[in-house]
Amino acid sequence: MKRLRAVIIKEFNHILRDPTSLTIVFILPVVMMIIYGYGINFDLKKVDAGIIDFNNGEHSRNLIKAFGNNKYFKLHDLKAGSAFPVQKGEKLLRKGELKEVIIIPKDFSRSVVDGTGAKVSIIIDGSDSNVANLIYQYNERILAEFMSGINRYAGLANISTKIYFNPQLKSSFFFIPGLVAVLLLMISAMLTSISIARERESGSLNLIFISPLKSSEIIIGKTLPYTAVAFLVGLVILVFAKFWFGIPIRGSVLTLALFSVIYVITGLSIGVMISTIAPSQKTAMFATLLITMLPSILLSGFIFPLTSLGPVLRFISGLIPATYFLRIIRGVVLRGAGINVFVTESAVLLGFSLILLLSASFYFQKLRKRPK
Amino acid sequence: MRLLYLVKKEFIEIFRQREILPFIFVSPIIQIVLFGYVVTTDIKNVPVEIVNYSNSATAERIIRRINSSPLFNVKKISASEADPKLVLKKGKLSAVILFRDSDSGNLTSSMPEVQVLMDGVDSNTSSLAAGYVAGIIRRYFLEELKNMGIKMPVENRTLIRFNPELKSINYMGPGIVALLLTILSLFLTSLSIVREKVQQTMDTLLVSRLSPVEIYIGKAMPMMLIGIFNMIVGTAVVVLWFGIPVRGNMIYMLITAIIFLCALLSYALFISTVASTEQQALFFSWFSMVTFIMLAGLFTPVENIPAAVRFFSDIDPVRYLIKIIREIFIKGNGITYFYKDLIILAGIATVVLSVSLFNFRRLVRK
Repeated sequence: MKRLRAVIIKEFNHILRDPTSLTIVFILPVVMMIIYGYGINFDLKKVDAGIIDFNNGEHSRNLIKAFGNNKYFKLHDLKAGSAFPVQKGEKLLRKGELKEVIIIPKDFSRSVVDGTGAKVSIIIDGSDSNVANLIYQYNERILAEFMSGINRYAGLANISTKIYFNPQLKSSFFFIPGLVAVLLLMISAMLTSISIARERESGSLNLIFISPLKSSEIIIGKTLPYTAVAFLVGLVILVFAKFWFGIPIRGSVLTLALFSVIYVITGLSIGVMISTIAPSQKTAMFATLLITMLPSILLSGFIFPLTSLGPVLRFISGLIPATYFLRIIRGVVLRGAGINVFVTESAVLLGFSLILLLSASFYFQKLRKRPK
Repeated sequence: MRLLYLVKKEFIEIFRQREILPFIFVSPIIQIVLFGYVVTTDIKNVPVEIVNYSNSATAERIIRRINSSPLFNVKKISASEADPKLVLKKGKLSAVILFRDSDSGNLTSSMPEVQVLMDGVDSNTSSLAAGYVAGIIRRYFLEELKNMGIKMPVENRTLIRFNPELKSINYMGPGIVALLLTILSLFLTSLSIVREKVQQTMDTLLVSRLSPVEIYIGKAMPMMLIGIFNMIVGTAVVVLWFGIPVRGNMIYMLITAIIFLCALLSYALFISTVASTEQQALFFSWFSMVTFIMLAGLFTPVENIPAAVRFFSDIDPVRYLIKIIREIFIKGNGITYFYKDLIILAGIATVVLSVSLFNFRRLVRK
């Protein structure tokens, strides 16, 4: 215990002796949070839609009003100043200036009155399938509302939707907590990843090898002090998420803190593991960035829904710590979930840490006996 | 002629580093295939629970349709609900769909009322999924009405251009090729000058008869060729593996890639000139890479980026590369549609190249 304390104090001295790096560790995630927090946004702004009204009757004007009177579309009249509005619409669609063109035929109002079925032709730019899907659904909703004003059958499907936890469907609610998870893992792994590699480069590793310390004591002594630093970094980015991006924290802050400590330890363990293996600081850093960033962004459910993945990729995503913390942080922050909901997730994270720290100790012990 | 020797020397140096070779020849293929499967906004298997209070056959039939749809993964069908908010709180389900008998049966007496209770946390999936539920129900009723001989007053005839099956990969695939081009060129190039500095071979280069401009070009040229090679491999993989149609002219893609690489390689050489250790160079290029990609509109539309960071997106060369490649692939557009983007890209390239070259010459003089 006394020996462990000595390593911890030594490591703390290391941290405090280098205030520049310490500042970078705190500032970097905040800068990244601003850039990426703004960069990733699924909220659809008003869609530019071209409208061509060949009918110009009572019903067609009402339909245009229905399309214009909502937060989804910004309408552009294509008939104004053009002899060939359909061609013009196609061209603007190709240019990407319009996302859809709505064409109302000449006999629209008459067909509505006759009940023979008026046909609205809509051309959607399908390039971005996600956007196109949303546009199609907006159209359907608006048409259904328009029809229920005319015909009592049309309102048949009585569907109401209620949205919990994020009623305005702001995508920042989804991405910002996710970003916290990705950045926290990266920073904490970074912190420890160069710690042993640095001693190796400066030659002081040999001094540690011949000291009476046990390998496990060295590994734990290298991990614990950084837990405090990483936890503080996590606190800073969470405060930032709350006050800069306006993410409400609905669950208990204490619960969140507890889970963060567990998660940060997993990140630090990854760093220690890399550091034990890596021959130089450069390699350690690069490997850390590669291992923590890319999978956390792509395969953890940070942006892309996990349910859409195939079984192989879903298995891989189960090996990524961010996958579990994402569930936890979204649950606690947005849904106000309690500690009991995430027993499995935290157990898995603790399991990861245990395995990583044990293997790091073993590997360290092996190196000690027979240095390369 | 002297330049040619330098280019040759660079190539020898690159191919001597055995650990880098897989990055050039193998990783592009793996990256493209992996990204192709991961980077998708298609939604599938959304986990939902259905609570059915209705005894009607209609509700039964609609539930069957939801159940058989690949969009939803129905975890449970029950006849009574727990508090939906508590159920959603656990985060295991995206929605609870409730069916109730409604009092105002107007067409037939068995018209259920449907309530979709969604978890809004994943806003994109939620809004799409809610729309899909509505779509399934609406389609059911339309078919029923048709069978009864009742016509809807308005018919929606939608035509989807450019990507009629609405496959996400058709949009993401070309973007991934751009991603590949960015990642590889940035990392490899950013190490090139700093390595000479660290190994102290820079001085040897400087006392040779090569002019600074020649050294600069000699450093950029091999990377340009490797970049183009990677783009061709990436395009081939995306087209052959994922079956993405290519509608436009590939010559435009080549021209765009060359202009883009002028900008990106100059930027990478700038990093390499400024950095004093390989570690710094790697860190800077990594940080730039993530920033470039995040602001390029690869995952989400550029229009969504708010004014505060809009400027950074406007000068992001990757954004223009992605936009042009997508237009060529998906829309088959000719140069008249994207010449403006090409001019902006060329402008960015000119500025970055001048600054970077100026900086390099300054370093050389010192």
